[in-house]
Amino acid sequence: MVFLPSTTSAISATDAGLKRSRVDYSRHLSAEARARLPNPIKSIWKAAQVKAGTINMGNGDPHHTLYPICEMNFVVPSIDEDDPVQSWRSGTGEQSIVASYKDDPCALSLRTAFAYGAGAGLKEVRDALAELNDRIHSPPNHTVSLSLGNADALTKCFRLLGDPGDSFLCEEFTFSAMTNAALPLGIEWVPIRMDKNGLVPSDLERILSNWNEATQGKRPHVLYTIPCSQNPTGSTLSLERRQHIYQIAHDWDIIILEDDPYFFLQYDLGVNQSTIQQFGYTRAMAEVLPRSFLSMDYDGRVMRLDSFSKIVAPGMRLGWVTSNSFFAEKLDMLTDSSSQHPHGMGQAFVAELLGSDGWGWISSLCNEYQRRRDLFMDVFRQKVAVSGFATAEVPQSGMFVWIKINLEHHARFSTSQTPTVPGGPTTNTVDLMDELFRKLLNNGLVMMPASTFAIVDRTGTMGNHINDRVNFFRATFVGTDETIRDGLTIFGRTLEEFFF
Amino acid sequence: MYEVPSVQGASDPVTSWRNNSGLAQIIRSYKDQECALSIRDAFPYSRAAGLKQCLDVLTDFTKMIFAPPNHHVTLTLGNSDGITKVFRLFGEKGDHFLTDEFSFPSMTNSPLAYGVKWVGVKMDSGGIIPEELEKVLIKWDEVRSGRRPHVLYIIPVGQNPTGSTLSVDRRKKIYAIAQTWDLIIIEDDPYYFLQYDIPQTNCASADPDEFIKDFRSTLIPTFLSMDVDGRVLRIDTFSKVLAPGMRLGWITSNKLFHLKLADYTDSSTQPPHAFGQMFVTEMLSEHGWKVEGFCRWLRSLCLDYQSRRDFLLEVFRREVESTGYASVNCPEAGMFVWIEYSGGSPVVARTNTEHLLKELFERLMNIQGVVFIPSSTFAIPENPLWVESDGHVPLSDRNRFLRATFGGTEEIIEKGMIRLGKGLREFFQD
Repeated sequence: MVFLPSTTSAISATDAGLKRSRVDYSRHLSAEARARLPNPIKSIWKAAQVKAGTINMGNGDPHHTLYPICEMNFVVPSIDEDDPVQSWRSGTGEQSIVASYKDDPCALSLRTAFAYGAGAGLKEVRDALAELNDRIHSPPNHTVSLSLGNADALTKCFRLLGDPGDSFLCEEFTFSAMTNAALPLGIEWVPIRMDKNGLVPSDLERILSNWNEATQGKRPHVLYTIPCSQNPTGSTLSLERRQHIYQIAHDWDIIILEDDPYFFLQYDLGVNQSTIQQFGYTRAMAEVLPRSFLSMDYDGRVMRLDSFSKIVAPGMRLGWVTSNSFFAEKLDMLTDSSSQHPHGMGQAFVAELLGSDGWGWISSLCNEYQRRRDLFMDVFRQKVAVSGFATAEVPQSGMFVWIKINLEHHARFSTSQTPTVPGGPTTNTVDLMDELFRKLLNNGLVMMPASTFAIVDRTGTMGNHINDRVNFFRATFVGTDETIRDGLTIFGRTLEEFFF
Repeated sequence: MYEVPSVQGASDPVTSWRNNSGLAQIIRSYKDQECALSIRDAFPYSRAAGLKQCLDVLTDFTKMIFAPPNHHVTLTLGNSDGITKVFRLFGEKGDHFLTDEFSFPSMTNSPLAYGVKWVGVKMDSGGIIPEELEKVLIKWDEVRSGRRPHVLYIIPVGQNPTGSTLSVDRRKKIYAIAQTWDLIIIEDDPYYFLQYDIPQTNCASADPDEFIKDFRSTLIPTFLSMDVDGRVLRIDTFSKVLAPGMRLGWITSNKLFHLKLADYTDSSTQPPHAFGQMFVTEMLSEHGWKVEGFCRWLRSLCLDYQSRRDFLLEVFRREVESTGYASVNCPEAGMFVWIEYSGGSPVVARTNTEHLLKELFERLMNIQGVVFIPSSTFAIPENPLWVESDGHVPLSDRNRFLRATFGGTEEIIEKGMIRLGKGLREFFQD
């Protein structure tokens, strides 16, 4: 991927003194992160490795001859098939064996994988992922650390950057399981308006320029965003929006937490077949995938979170964080003081997979998810959209469809409710959506209501209470074809009942 | 598919495995075929206490070996993960936690970052001294020092770093003190199954249940087993008995703490990885080693470590003790020996002991080419506010130990001890 400098035009004039032009990484650290000491035994362990022939009697490790596993085999799909995902699902394809050994050569020996290691994870795996990063994002100057998946990485980033009383920015509908995890740390969330294309940059700018530290506390310095297949709205930020957001982050010295588990599940991209043949899948994908925040991070203010959960399986509990070396070191110190490095088995498996051209699997996976998305949208049009009671945009990536319920057609819909608190909602959207959710449940269908993901604005500066805009459901299209057909049939029918 | 040593009918599976002379066994996990914990069940997202099948086998194992009165099991990613999560559950800024005066800094450093401080309690060769623990609690002045400590963190078997093991008598005394002062006890026990010098049972004739019963009877009673109040959180791990890279362990605690730990895990690391849960579940189930087979592996492992301990002590006597500059106790458990060097001088106050320790450590590493961890790495800073008594010799003046492990090969142990002997001679003769 070719790195392009930002081309956005200047943002509207604001007091220049409030804006920052240099990133001071240490100012972003929480008090806890600043106070954290490195692991002293690991420091000695590192020093002991310097001189050759040093006898290390300091470690508390079992010797590798005592590990009771000498070989692990994983039976996986062969990616020499044209469509490995289809062949795998129908049981018609070839299988292949990924093998890790303790005493024989392989990409990552069990001898190494099963020992204690540094928090960042094993070098072989980090190097392979750094190479992947280079080919897809060309990050200017970053370091890779392994994580136990994005929930682990994200919550660690919260601890790294957040003090009690801090305000963090997020999309107004977001992955609330994660934002909730930050609350016990004393972090408060400031929601940013969204439209069907994702977070609205001018609203982000509005929040920052209007921020009054005297009454609201420290200005926010962290933005949490899910730029591809945003959870729950399914939107993907355009290149222009990303550049605009990065410019704002640059002006206001904001750290961007780029949570991107669906990045590799992109549709309608037109991957070039001849590129695949000539240069392999990675290059072909790199040419069409969206530009990440990481790829434009000339300040070093982006912490990008990648995960194997959606492209291999959630049970892998493995991912990687790409950030500047200062943050990477602090993150590793936190890992060394808590969960420790990821498990050896997962690292061994991924090292073997990345050694071969495992990314052919991803390409095939995208085709399969795209097929399901198309099926979902087809059935949706036939069974639901015809009535006009609900509409949905076609998602370009990921797993979610954000279905809008057109409550204005409902006889009992009211826009003149008296708010119970100043700035409160003026419609009965919440009540009607609750009623609909229960009806769906009764008829045997679960979809996630928007209220589950809604972040209420506490700054008092957002014109419109989010509860007036929770007329959406998040649906997933990753189930079986049967689930999609049956589910949407129930949905269509229930909407008819609801609106009459 | 995992290839593991066969433990059925093997009298010494560890030695056979190391020599490549024993049989191997294949354990399998399937996605679509029947097994103890299938890939289909293990690979999706799950809630944090762990997958039911894995929790069940570990709960059964815990009940069989530790017989806890009324406790629940929560999975962890190993003891570091378990312990640091427990610290977060109990510690607030300004709190003091109690531990051994020499303790495991990888753990004790972690809550410092959020304002928890440590109080080190005096030890002898038998571990933490109950009377000293009591003294700290009685003399604690909440006005000057803040809230009285309410958490005790200990490693009661093969203590890290001193290698000591708390006797049954001391355990009972400590538990009684915990009851009087309402302490939470964090029982960090990674070396529990490496207990030495125990008359071994005859394994050939025993039936599985008999074997397990006999095996269990050779092990010292845990704090968990005496936990009538529900104030103990026991932290177990597979790191030292399978491999550190397993990153899997479990906490046994009362229900309230279990629920809180599960919630906290849901808001952070998420549950352990599928591979580990699948492996452990199969290993303890019908088509694996079963509990009895796992106990055979543990017993065999224990004898292997014991012979390494004996080997180290033998070489130590020959190469180091003979110099007259250092001595060592024989550890009853674990992986460490705690070597005290003296140069013949007694322990007195206000010496430059710590400075000399640093010098010795560096000489050994840089000149002799052998690394031991100096006791200063493990020492908990003292504060006279906690305890004052006549004749108290500050920790800094007693800080003259090196921690060595006998987990390595015989070659490493032999070379290491020779270099230590040489290094000590040169150091004290300078």
